[in-house]
Amino acid sequence: MRAAVKSARPRNQEHCHAERSEASRCLVSQTLRFAQGDKRIQGDKQIRNDMKQQEIETQYTIENSQPIEDGQRIDTMTINMGPQHPSTHGVLRLILTIDGETVVKAVPDIGFLHTGIEKTAEAKTYHQALVLTDRTEYLSPLCNNLAYSLSVERLLGVEDEINDKIRFARVLLVELQRIASHLVFLASSALDLGAQSIFLYCFREREMILDVFELVSGVRMMTSYICPGGLQAELPPGFDAKVREFTRIFPERLQEYHDILTNNQLWIERTKGIATLSAQDAIAYGASGPVLRGSGVVWDIRKAFPYSGYEHFDFAIPVGSNGDVYDRYLVRMLEMEQSLNIVNQALEGMPTGNYRINNPKIVPPPKWQLTGSMESLIHHFKLYTEGYHPPRGEAFVRTEASKGELGYYIVSDGSNKPYRMHIRGASFANLEVLPLMIEGGFLADVVAAIGSIDIVLGEVDR
Amino acid sequence: MVRAKFPQAVIETVQFRGEQTIVLLPEHLVAVCTHLKKQLEYTFLSSVTAVDWLERVPRYDVVYHLLSIPRLSELRLKVRVGNRGEEHPSVPTVSGVWPGANWYEREVYDLFGITFAGHPDLRRILMPIDWTTHPLRKDYPLTGFDLPEPHWGGQVPYDIDPGVGSQTLRTPGGRELNESRSKISQTQEPGTLSC
Repeated sequence: MRAAVKSARPRNQEHCHAERSEASRCLVSQTLRFAQGDKRIQGDKQIRNDMKQQEIETQYTIENSQPIEDGQRIDTMTINMGPQHPSTHGVLRLILTIDGETVVKAVPDIGFLHTGIEKTAEAKTYHQALVLTDRTEYLSPLCNNLAYSLSVERLLGVEDEINDKIRFARVLLVELQRIASHLVFLASSALDLGAQSIFLYCFREREMILDVFELVSGVRMMTSYICPGGLQAELPPGFDAKVREFTRIFPERLQEYHDILTNNQLWIERTKGIATLSAQDAIAYGASGPVLRGSGVVWDIRKAFPYSGYEHFDFAIPVGSNGDVYDRYLVRMLEMEQSLNIVNQALEGMPTGNYRINNPKIVPPPKWQLTGSMESLIHHFKLYTEGYHPPRGEAFVRTEASKGELGYYIVSDGSNKPYRMHIRGASFANLEVLPLMIEGGFLADVVAAIGSIDIVLGEVDR
Repeated sequence: MVRAKFPQAVIETVQFRGEQTIVLLPEHLVAVCTHLKKQLEYTFLSSVTAVDWLERVPRYDVVYHLLSIPRLSELRLKVRVGNRGEEHPSVPTVSGVWPGANWYEREVYDLFGITFAGHPDLRRILMPIDWTTHPLRKDYPLTGFDLPEPHWGGQVPYDIDPGVGSQTLRTPGGRELNESRSKISQTQEPGTLSC
């Protein structure tokens, strides 16, 4: 009996509460209609009283905010977006000051994914630190492997020993990675703006690329396949066929994406003229990659400072003109075409050769030698316990990763571990320009802008 | 070219593996950077970072990677700062020359404790705002450190002795220093520094 009373009471309260809130919601909706000039309810005394009440309340809040000169008043509000927000693509926190729907000020707050990778690398041998590079920009690990390997190779002075087979294989894989990364961009940024089906299409194609990576390295994402001195293993049988299957299917799929979005009126209205960035600002803030090219700057490190044999490939640099979300989208779409082109060229022109350099001080000897040669066994043992010792010095090789300029600044003190490893990631600088893009725009466009710069917080926070 | 223009600013120029480095005196940094940007079109600042050479005087290298988009050239600038016993060495900011330096200098301040004179907004960027130490310094160990950080509420975030793992400190006394740090004595209050 008592229990029943007890349980009944909260239900009653809840009921009352629900009733009250429903009534108030009705009032709000009616007053809103009233405010929009609906003649039908103007005679209603009750509502007019409510309006008065609301006016008083509004006045009160306005008096608390700061007045501006020409008699108008601005009522701003500061809100948090993130760090757990589906459209911030990770753990980005934005502190937005908004005036109605307009963003007055935006302050990005980063560091939620700071894992101390640069510090950790100082305690690892060069061989072990390779694994950390996958974890920085986890949507294009092979680009990071390549940038790290190039820096270490320059530090070791073995750049000239890298043969064309290694270079072509590296270029092929990195370009596949670029397509995979751009597909994630397309999927997630379109999803943010409400285009849901393309999300699944893009991940379907990305899965084909990840299958290729799984074939070569055994892992879908954290490959560590490109390593200082070449590749971790020989390209397996069936690799060629698998890549060809992808290059056969992908052009028509890419056309499908164009059909869905490029001329879609909804997509154009959400992206054209939104979050613009001028070329001067893009350069001054160190933005790179599709963000820089979308603003109309013709700049691609693959062309400017060719690395890993990019001078042998024929490809174009897509460049935008307005620096808005649409241009950045289109630049990436066209880049996928160019990447596919490079993949085809690399497949056709893939020379034969060893998959790693013939230098037992840097790469381990082949397995069959271990059972026959004492010297090889010692090399193998020394390499995996102690590693190699690059001479004192420093190296910084710029590469064009999928997000933009990526470079590993590695300082050696002559020991077997990097004395300092600094990662120049593209997302860090690209995120710095975000306030320039979104201040003065609408709150809803913030989502479009974040999607269009394609940040990976692992690279921002490192 | 820079040496001809600023003979008093350049300490040395180094060429290693085809990469050009100019070591500058900190007080001339902004003048040289302005010249590089205006005259030699180094409009693109790739990154600003630092290297801690614990036993050297001056202790830190602050490193700037520049890029000239019209002239297709790369350049590295270096400034050496940090006298013995100086807790927060100071470098003039270049965020007036390249606005993008803002975040990079905040990062260097956060992780190395190098301050940038004239920086518009020198706050921590990666570590929590109430963090008190600078993790990328070489005397800041990887493990075995009973973090007396206010961020953890002055508590050690684990209740067992973490031991001494691999360290980034490579000096002869480094290991002893770290081991002495990681010892939690019975009389010590959690979160306080042992003396």
